[in-house]
Parts: sequence; structure tokens; C-alpha cells
Amino acid sequence: MTTRNDGPSARRQFLKTAGVLAVGTAAVGSAACDVKEPAQVDESSVARLLGFDRTLLDALAITVLPASLGAAGVRAATDRFVAWADGYDPVAEEMHGYGYSDVRYLPADPSPAWRAQLEALDALSRKTQRVPFGRGTAEQRTAVLEAALRTESGERLPSPLAARHIALALLAHWSASSDAWNLALGAQVSPGTCRKLDEALRAPLPLAPAGASAKPEATT
Amino acid sequence: MIIQDTNTTVHEADICIVGSGITAAMMAAHLAEHTTQSILVVEAGKHTTPFAQRAQARERYVGYGESPWKSDHVDDQNAYGNTWGFSPSMHVGGLAMHWGGVSPRYSPEDFRVKSLYGIGDDWPFTYDDLDPFYQEAEERMGVAGEQGPAALDPRGKPYPLPPLPINHNLKQLQQWATNAGIATWSTPSAKNSTPYAGRAQCQRCDTCYPVCPSGAKYSPDFTWDALVRDKKITLVTETLVRRLEADAKTGRITHATGNRTDASGAPVEIRAKTFVLAAGFVWSPHLLLLSRSSAFPDGLANRSGLVGKYLAGHRNVNAYLELPMELLPGINVQHSLVSKQFMRPGKQSRYLRHDLRIWESSVGREPRLRGTDGKLLLGDALLKDWQQRAKGATARVRGYYDVLPDRESKFTLDSGRTNRFGDPMPQVAFRDASESAALREWQEEELRTLFRRMAKAGGGSILRMENSSNDLGQEHPTGGCRMGTDPLTSVVDARGRAHDHENLWVAGAPTQPTASCCNGTLTFAAVGLRTASAIATG
Repeated sequence: MTTRNDGPSARRQFLKTAGVLAVGTAAVGSAACDVKEPAQVDESSVARLLGFDRTLLDALAITVLPASLGAAGVRAATDRFVAWADGYDPVAEEMHGYGYSDVRYLPADPSPAWRAQLEALDALSRKTQRVPFGRGTAEQRTAVLEAALRTESGERLPSPLAARHIALALLAHWSASSDAWNLALGAQVSPGTCRKLDEALRAPLPLAPAGASAKPEATT
Repeated sequence: MIIQDTNTTVHEADICIVGSGITAAMMAAHLAEHTTQSILVVEAGKHTTPFAQRAQARERYVGYGESPWKSDHVDDQNAYGNTWGFSPSMHVGGLAMHWGGVSPRYSPEDFRVKSLYGIGDDWPFTYDDLDPFYQEAEERMGVAGEQGPAALDPRGKPYPLPPLPINHNLKQLQQWATNAGIATWSTPSAKNSTPYAGRAQCQRCDTCYPVCPSGAKYSPDFTWDALVRDKKITLVTETLVRRLEADAKTGRITHATGNRTDASGAPVEIRAKTFVLAAGFVWSPHLLLLSRSSAFPDGLANRSGLVGKYLAGHRNVNAYLELPMELLPGINVQHSLVSKQFMRPGKQSRYLRHDLRIWESSVGREPRLRGTDGKLLLGDALLKDWQQRAKGATARVRGYYDVLPDRESKFTLDSGRTNRFGDPMPQVAFRDASESAALREWQEEELRTLFRRMAKAGGGSILRMENSSNDLGQEHPTGGCRMGTDPLTSVVDARGRAHDHENLWVAGAPTQPTASCCNGTLTFAAVGLRTASAIATG
């Protein structure tokens, strides 16, 4: 379900609930990195349409994200993606440390195109599979995605913000997370999070067995 | 003291420091402890993101690439041309608000390349002369470091903080480097390996560049906050110094003039007994060139014609190596091993000096969308493929190599680009000295050969190698007001005092004749502290 956000106060309220999630990495476990208040964005920004058709997005998520995350894991990753996309501040200043002297700005909001692509996946599914995308089998949804992504090369995933298709954006957002890297590495490395310095001396612990908590103990 | 007449705000102090970057912060702290003179610091920009908001700023940087530093530049005050090592950042704390904290010293050879190798120029003092100021800078920042082999890494006293740990990944990489015949140690960094100066221990958040959320990395705002709180200095922001006025007979700087950079643009005058330019390699010489008058038609301190010239820096060759070991990328990506072995090469037939850094890397180990057969990878198939790719190890190695500057490595004033007050902005053009230009191809191939040898020694292979881009300029730039003993071949003396103006000093990066082949910030600060010491002792 999409919602229209027409004012600063509504936007502020949204960020209060979504701010903690509006990141490309997993929630972090240290006092330094904990975000107690929502991140600030320019409230003079023009109103933006927020959210995605959740039925279609969930169908996409169970197609592109690993089933081994479990239903709850897929749902959580999808929730984080939505919060991240909605928390984007179009045309904010980029980091300009070194390399060029001009001040550069982030791109326009990618979400409208991503929303349209979700609808297009549904339309394509109805045409080629004769079934709505959200009701197709895994094979049917995959076939639709193979057609939609046929021009995308695969050496590496783009950054989520640079993804030209919502399927890639969702996948890239998840794979940039600390939890995804831990799964790939088979260990509690937790890249991109704030962690105790001394623990870097030893090999990271292996991931906990399925069903147990795989998160490292939070630092204080 | 502040005097407000009808239009112009007048500030008066004993010492006026122009700029509020890391060199200025170090100097102000030193002067506040060693003199009773009043100190006024003038900054063109504003305060940027306060410490309390940096965890949030980091979140948005990590999530979206947003700049964590708000209001960090002045819109119409910028440099153009070869600006790789330049940043438009202009705010309280300067570029060191977003630096990576890497704090190596130069090597003793850097100060004597002419004597040792017959090229370039010697500095007017030695490494040993700078050693106590290196130490002071390290103690003020809180540098965590490991004493390397004494022959490669001489120093008078121990580092103030124990080194950042050689972590699980770096341990394996260090063994590989040792097998390749290269001595490495923990890269010295202005990051708290233990709590220090009221700031927290590093939590390896791995966003040192561009923002540290814990305060473990030193940034100049910590010094400014303390100095202002203790009423040791007066910090004036949003005030652009646009001219220094010199007495035509004595050469003494009588006052500075400028304008507010806020909407008012109101005029400002600054009266001081001593003026210190600590605004970096572009803005310090820029101010001297803007301060032309009938008595000084080429600008101030410019009898030699060298203000804005001899801009120096270094370039690099970078490589990613695949190695037969198991690394887990992400343990502490921004921390590295360092070697100074190649900064002290001894006598050689052709000149090459470079540093060497080694990092863990995730290059080649990321997820991909298509398998080797070109088929789309989704869901568990993608994860399984990623888990296979993630095995093994990638190391990143990089060598900065020394580039000697040409006299005409310079910036010029571009009247086609002006700020709101009509001041021409700098157009930067680096140029290698002829001896460096002639050596460049060979030097870069030597570095590539070293990396191939290192890969072979570890039973690995090169994934890819790349050079600095040709047209972007150079890294950790210095120069523009080079120091020396001869007023005809230098702008300031060995302590940073302008040859032509007894109460004008230039501090830090602009005074350096060369830029070595490693990160320069610690040396900029140490050179600035040497200048501060000279000012304090009269």
C-alpha cells in the first residue's frame, strides 16, 4: 500500500518510526552507532509518495531473496528496504572529500520508477504467465524476472541507489547488510557495524546454528 | 576585543590565525599554553555537524552516501583544475573533520633528497629537528602506533597510545608480507586504541573516513571546543579574510580585511601584532596573491615570485591480489599494515621512494547477479554462489611514490571565476619536475613489479592494478609558500616566517618543499607546531 506524505510533520513522524531502519546495513550494536532519534532530512523537500504495493513487493522478495532466510527473515529484509527507500532524501549533498572540487548531489528519487517496475512485473506476468505476479509459482515469477532483467549484466550487484530495477535494488540492499555478509562468510564478522576493538584479534565466531540468535553480543 | 562601528566589525588580538583546520588547531593549542597573548582564529565557514549528531550522520552516509558534514562549504569559494587532493570543505575543523586519521611520519630522507639523491631540494631542517614536534602533534591528537624497526622508523619517544591491533586478517597478511621479505607494522592512526583525552576507544565502525561516530578518531573540533570553553582563544566564524595590508616601508602587516560570508556580507577588519596563515596549500598563498598593492604589486611575501608555486604531492599504484588464505573481510577495513622499507632505499641508480600499505579487501568476493554460465542467480542460488566466492582472500596493496614538483606546478588566479566579492578563484595545475616526469613510467612499473613479486611469494595472483589518474592532480598536496633559507628561492624561512614581513607566518602544508610518499597530515601539523614554537618564543 502506498501512502502520500504531504507535509513536514507527517514526514517527521514517519522518520521517527523509520529512522532506525533507514540504513543499508543492519542495526548496529554499540552505543556509538545507536541512533536514538530519527536522522534529519531537509523538511522543505517536496512531498513524496512513500511505500510500495506490498503484495507485489512481497512476491518479488520471496523470489529474489534467499528462502533460507525464512519467511520472517525475508519479511524483515523487505521491511528494511521499504524504510530505506522511503527515508531517502533526493538531491542531498554527496560526500565530497577528495577527488573533485565541485559539490555533487544524490540522484532523484528512484522509487517512482521502482513502483512502476513492480506494476510492470505484474503486467508482464499476466501477459506471459497468465497469472498475476503475486499469485504465480516460483518458476513463473523467476521467468518473469529473467525477462525483465535480461539486459542486466552480473559481475557484481549495483549499489541499491544505483539499481536500475527494483529487483536489483531489493537484492542489493539486502546483500549490503551486515547480516547478509555474515551469511556469505559463515561467521559473525558483522562488517560495517561498531564492535569492540579487542575482538578483532581473534577469528570471528562461526554463525550460530539455524534457529539460534546469530547476532553478536552488543557492545556498550 | 570586538569594536563595532557603523559598518565594519573590528576584531583586535595579539595573534590572528587565519583558518581553523588541523594545523591551526594544533598551533592554537600550543600558543595558548606557551604565551599569554590573545589569540583570534578566523574561519570563513561555519561549524559543521556537531559530535552528538555524528552517529545519525553516519547512518545516512552508510545508507545513502549523503555527506555527513552539513554546511561544510562556502558556495562561491572553491578551487578548480587538478584538484584531486583538494576538498571544497571550508568549515570549523577543515578537511581533518573527514580525514581517515592515518598519521605516518615522513622519513629522514624526505628532508635531504638533494643531498642523498642529487635531485629536488633539501628542506631547511632535518627529520631530527622535527622529531619533537612530530611527538607533540601525536600527543595532542592521540596517535596509536607501533614502533617499527628502528632503522626504518626512527623516533625519539614512544607513541602516546598503543597500536591499533593487528587483527585476525592483518595477522595473516603480515605473515605473507614477511615471507615476501617486507617488514610491516600497524599503521599509525589518530584513533584511540584506548580511551584518551576524554574520547572513547575505537569501535572499528569502519567509517573513519569520512565520519567517526564514537569520537575515537581525532578531529580538530575537539581542540576548538576545549579552547573556546576554556576561553583560551576567540573563534570567529563565517568571516572570509580577503586582504592583508602591509606597511609599505616596514613590510609589517598592519591589519586584515574581509567580509562576513553570511547573507549580510558585512565588512570586517582584524588588527593584530602577528598574523598566521594556516589555511592550507590553496587558500594561504591565495590570500597572499590577493593582497596586492602598489608597494607589493605581486602580492605579499612574493619577492621570489614563488607564492602559489612548487605545488607538490604524490601519486600511487594500487593493486588487488588474490591469495591462498582465508580472510574474513569486514573485521576492520580501514586499518592497514604499513612499511617504510621503500622510503629508505639507500643509494640507488634511479630515484624511487614509496610507502607500502596492505589492507584486507572484499574485491572479487561480492555477490553477483549471474553465474559463470550467464544464468540469473536469485535467492538461495545467489547466496550459495556468494558463499563460494567469499572463500579465499583478497589483499589490497598500494604504494604512494614521491613526485618532485616543478617550479611551475602552481595555481593562478582565474578572473573568470570569482566569489561574490569579486575575488578571482584559484586554478590549480600540478606539474612534475623534469626528473620526476622522466622517471614516472619506470617508477610505476617498479611498483607493479613489486606487487607481482609479492603475489608470487604468497602463491597468489594479481586481480587488477591501477594507477592514479593522469589529470586529477596529486594526493596530500603541499607547497605554494615553500620554505628555505634564501629569500630569492623561497617564501618563508625555516620556521615559517615570511622573508618579507617580520610579523607574517605561514604554517603547515603550504611551506613544505616536497610532499614525501605517505599521508601528510601529521607532518603538516608538526611543521605548524614548529612555527608555533617560534612564534611563542619570539
